[in-house]
Amino acid sequence: MTLLRRSLLAAALIAPALVHAAANVDAPAPAFTAMTADGKTVNLADFKGKTVVLEWTNHDCPYVKKHYSGNMQGQQKAAAAQGVVWLQVISSAPGQQGHVDGATAQKLNADRGAVVAATLLDPKGEIGKAYGAQTTPHMYVIAPDGKLAYKGGIDSIASNKADDIAKADPYVTQALAAIAAGRKVEKASTRPYGCSVKYAS
Amino acid sequence: MPSFLRFLSVALLAVPLLALAAPPQAGTEHVKARLVASQDTVAPGQRFTVALEQDIKAHWHTYWLNPGDSGQATSITWTGAEAGPIQWPTPAVQPIGPLVNYGYEGRVALLLDLTVPADAKPGSRFQPVAEVRWLVCKDVCIPEQVTLGLDLPVAAQAQAGADAAQIDEWRGAIPKPAPFAVQLKPAAQGVQLSGPGEGVTKAYFFADTWGAVAHSAPQALTAEGGGWALELPAGDDPVKPGQPLSGVIVLTTASGQQAWTVTAPMPEGAGKGPGPADLAAPSAAVPTPAPESDLGVLTAMALALVGGLILNLMPCVFPVLSIKALALVNQGNHKAEGLAYTAGVLASFALLAAVLIALRAGGQQVGWGFQFHSPVFVLVVAYLLFMVGLNLSGLFDIGGGFTGIGSGLAARQGLAGSFFTGVLAAVVATPCTAPFMGAALAFALAQPAAVLLAVFLALGLGLALPFLVLAFWPAAQRWLPRPGAWMDKFKQFLAFPMYAAVVWLLWVLAQQTGPDGVALALGGLVLIAFALWLRRASRGLAGGAVALASLVLALGVGSVIKPVSADVRAADAAVEAYSAERVVELRAQNKPVFVNMTASWCISCLVNERVALSRPEVKDAFAKAGITYLKGDWTREDPAITAVLKAHGRSGVPLYLYYAPGAAEAQVLPQILTPGLVIEAVSTPTNPAPRS
Repeated sequence: MTLLRRSLLAAALIAPALVHAAANVDAPAPAFTAMTADGKTVNLADFKGKTVVLEWTNHDCPYVKKHYSGNMQGQQKAAAAQGVVWLQVISSAPGQQGHVDGATAQKLNADRGAVVAATLLDPKGEIGKAYGAQTTPHMYVIAPDGKLAYKGGIDSIASNKADDIAKADPYVTQALAAIAAGRKVEKASTRPYGCSVKYAS
Repeated sequence: MPSFLRFLSVALLAVPLLALAAPPQAGTEHVKARLVASQDTVAPGQRFTVALEQDIKAHWHTYWLNPGDSGQATSITWTGAEAGPIQWPTPAVQPIGPLVNYGYEGRVALLLDLTVPADAKPGSRFQPVAEVRWLVCKDVCIPEQVTLGLDLPVAAQAQAGADAAQIDEWRGAIPKPAPFAVQLKPAAQGVQLSGPGEGVTKAYFFADTWGAVAHSAPQALTAEGGGWALELPAGDDPVKPGQPLSGVIVLTTASGQQAWTVTAPMPEGAGKGPGPADLAAPSAAVPTPAPESDLGVLTAMALALVGGLILNLMPCVFPVLSIKALALVNQGNHKAEGLAYTAGVLASFALLAAVLIALRAGGQQVGWGFQFHSPVFVLVVAYLLFMVGLNLSGLFDIGGGFTGIGSGLAARQGLAGSFFTGVLAAVVATPCTAPFMGAALAFALAQPAAVLLAVFLALGLGLALPFLVLAFWPAAQRWLPRPGAWMDKFKQFLAFPMYAAVVWLLWVLAQQTGPDGVALALGGLVLIAFALWLRRASRGLAGGAVALASLVLALGVGSVIKPVSADVRAADAAVEAYSAERVVELRAQNKPVFVNMTASWCISCLVNERVALSRPEVKDAFAKAGITYLKGDWTREDPAITAVLKAHGRSGVPLYLYYAPGAAEAQVLPQILTPGLVIEAVSTPTNPAPRS
């Protein structure tokens, strides 16, 4: 009885460990369940053990277009070849720029040759707000242990000129290389740049 | 004819010459841009001011140096002249949904200095060209680009132009270096920027780099004693010790609004906790404790001690304490028991502090009372209190005895009982955030581990103090009544507050999990009662095993309890669910807003609602002032609400904010409300005096 009481008390005091997470580097990435463009449901937990990239996108945003001039597709293919799970997230609210239905999202990706594991439809902005996504593109990398390893811009030069891509430090590529090599991500939090995520206002 | 030919040839020659000089103005779909020079004629080597004026289409905006959460600053690349950096007018805060941008609407003029090449020949023309790029956004963003140029004659003697006065006027909108020094120091959620200045009613700081400050977070102002202090929650790239924070501070006083550029270094060694100076003069920095979060360590410990004392009066703690106090009526080593009880309380608080430190190290955002976000925790505490209640009712005796009343227990068992009574008191005390404690805990949560532990231990000591005094001070024991048969009755009576506490916890659980969760929890209670009865009825090993199995089953019930999806309940039609967007929207419309951050498990919140916020006179005052009443429910963890609490230096609920129409900052109301206090706060016509 005493033992039981002790364990009850211990449990009561340790239970707080079950509380929530926030999108901070080195902390567990916020969990989510989302509908994908092809009508499936995915859960972040499905990808436990794999590296996951989250790419906030809005196909009409000039900064997104800049990187879909080839850079984004190239990074997606390279990531897929390494077994990285690349997820696009569309947090544009209905009626806002970039809001699309699943079929349109799939067609957009087919037209521009994007290679993603899934496109997550987040019209209520729940995933976006859980991660604090501010811009399109805004990039997050989750390490296989489920902890956030990178958040910020896709690269170091905040511009809408495709010419700048070659001159910039490719932060996401660098983060993925560091994770694959078991190193610490050097620049783990950078300034995201682009259009604002078009949440419902 | 020849004259015509001559004209034609001159015209043809002139075309390429004209093409060299780009036009001084150009328009895009959203912005008309033009270059304006302060000079009509320039001299070789002269430095003079040029303005880029943007006339932006209504409801669209371009961006400041630091565009905020998204967007991009306007850029100008010059050829044919050496150009200084852009001098930016003070921007405006532009909320878009949950994000905040810094930029301009309407007409804006960016200034910069150009230098004419020293080798420019008098009689030639100075024709610098500017590639101007901007991002212009409304709900969507368009990058635009124009090429603008100047075409000015070069002469030995420079001559100011007609636009010089216009440029001087524009220069007035550009913040100048502050004629006073500002100080920077670490604060609970980021940094605190402070400076001198009487009667500051509003203040806002625009950091000039991304990430130093959370752009979308409210900046809490304290103004008194001829100075102001602004709490700046940190962004994703916080200022490091030794590095400067720079930007523009906008201060509003009765005489108007002024903007200054300021720079302040973060003190070296900052972030390692308060230095000796903070310890030496805590009172100077601490006007009234409740809304402040940068207390000195000793002040925080003192507040925690008082808070701990007050915890003894909380409805779920009091019965536990009473039982303990009753034990003193009997014989025994009171001093040892007092110490054991204190040790139990302190050990629990130390463990809680350790858990908090560990969670914080793991990057979690934690606040006081956070453990009650977990339905499983709520259920376990409900089970625990139910068992204590059954024990008090006499349904079963605990071997070791929580109480040791009249059972002739061995001293060691009595001490263990005292220890666990202390643990129990600490566990049931956690949901009851006493006033004064909020500030101390918010302070502690932002401090290094040692300080956090010290504050928590002070809180524990406060909780344990009354019993400790009784145990060590025989004179106090004389106030206790004589032992007798009444004690059994009183003990049985005390079971009812316990049952009431269980009812309350199940109500909390109902908010978290819905009717199914409550049904499961009640089933669990039945199982516990069954297990305890079985144990007494059988007294055998098998009975004990079945009892244990039933208890395990009851706990298993708890594990299947899942939180229901988030939906804030607004039972009262006059109350809206809180959202940051709604606050921004209402404030944009200059409407007054009252925000109540609450949780079902927070007793002081519920009391405040009952005695103040739900009173007809308060409702009338709200209706009269046209106040929108927003209620944020923190019963389950909500990062958006946690962020607001943090921004106001709190680690837990309750938090009451009142935004007067047009006020830049919320007025923070105390944690204990009276109808008069609320009515007074919301009836002040303009931005009320900053909280003291």
